[in-house]
Amino acid sequence: MEICDMYYNKDEFVETASGNKVNRQTVLCGSQNIVLHGKVIVDKGAIIRGDLANVRTGRYCVISKNAVVRPPFKQFSKGVAFFPLHIGDHVYIGENSVVSAASIGSYVYIGKNVVIGRRCVIKDCTIIEDNSVLPPETTLASFMKFNNDGTIEGGQGTESVPAAMQDLMVDFTKSYYDHFLMAKS
Amino acid sequence: MSKLENKIKVMPKAVVCEDSTIKGDVTICSGSVIHPSAQIIAESGPIIIGENCIIEEYAKIIHRIPPDHKLAQEKNHVLVIGANNLFEVGSTVEALKIGEKNIFECKSYVSSNVTISSGCVIGAGCHVVGEQHLPENTVIFGKNCQQREALDKVSGSHMLQLDFLRKVLPNYHHLRKPCDIKKAANLS
Repeated sequence: MEICDMYYNKDEFVETASGNKVNRQTVLCGSQNIVLHGKVIVDKGAIIRGDLANVRTGRYCVISKNAVVRPPFKQFSKGVAFFPLHIGDHVYIGENSVVSAASIGSYVYIGKNVVIGRRCVIKDCTIIEDNSVLPPETTLASFMKFNNDGTIEGGQGTESVPAAMQDLMVDFTKSYYDHFLMAKS
Repeated sequence: MSKLENKIKVMPKAVVCEDSTIKGDVTICSGSVIHPSAQIIAESGPIIIGENCIIEEYAKIIHRIPPDHKLAQEKNHVLVIGANNLFEVGSTVEALKIGEKNIFECKSYVSSNVTISSGCVIGAGCHVVGEQHLPENTVIFGKNCQQREALDKVSGSHMLQLDFLRKVLPNYHHLRKPCDIKKAANLS
């Protein structure tokens, strides 16, 4: 998969020591509770709600424009609790998606305009199609694909998710990061 | 109307983050929680948000009467939003009448010619358009926006969530200061 170079202005993004590139127009609430493990891109308008609970992402994640990453809550007989949200390595989250999962594995592709209901568990090497809605508490096993009509397909002997999903996502997120360049002024 | 005059009244005990976009004449009653990046736009007239509502990120509440709407002739129409409503992430609500205890889930859309009574749930990603009135306890769900009546009352009293948010949000956000009721009473 070949990705064209994307350029950004120097004053639009902040690059941290571990190589995270974070747009200045993101809303990172409770930044002391957010851990981005390095080489993560957080694009314009994205919201990460670290004030509700801890959020941890692995390496080489992409959080696209206007995506919302928000820890899930659960209601108990006494009060509510927000659960920490863990995201693995090499995860792509598309534009305008809302992620309220309890955990997301590695090598996961989440399309545009997706709503991931609260406390979903998404395992490694999965694909979530554009515009799909995952009901709360859904579990998506590894190598499964969630379609936008609400069905899950995949499993042994099917080609819904390519067998080389891990390598594909590693290549995709790495090249996304490598082609995300500062414009030369 | 080119320029909106901002007249924002925040009652005591309401938690309104400063990063939210509020335009026009908006009154937020006590106990409501407004998350950062929420949008409330009172274009055609004032908006009054009832007690204990939650308005999450990228939720949009717009009071904009289209020119061909039957309320278009009416001057000073006020959008009254009842108590205990929940507007989840990315919902867009243009309805001109909203009752109590409704839930607008993520990325739902309600157009301006819909009126909403009480106890309704608009499911995630559902669009409600066309002139209609949603009776009490209506649930709209699924890909094709099917409609039915809830059998039992919507259990999720979100009071516990509100308590949590009221405790936590002030630690992390700058809040809009509540207005002085006595002062406001003298002015009006």
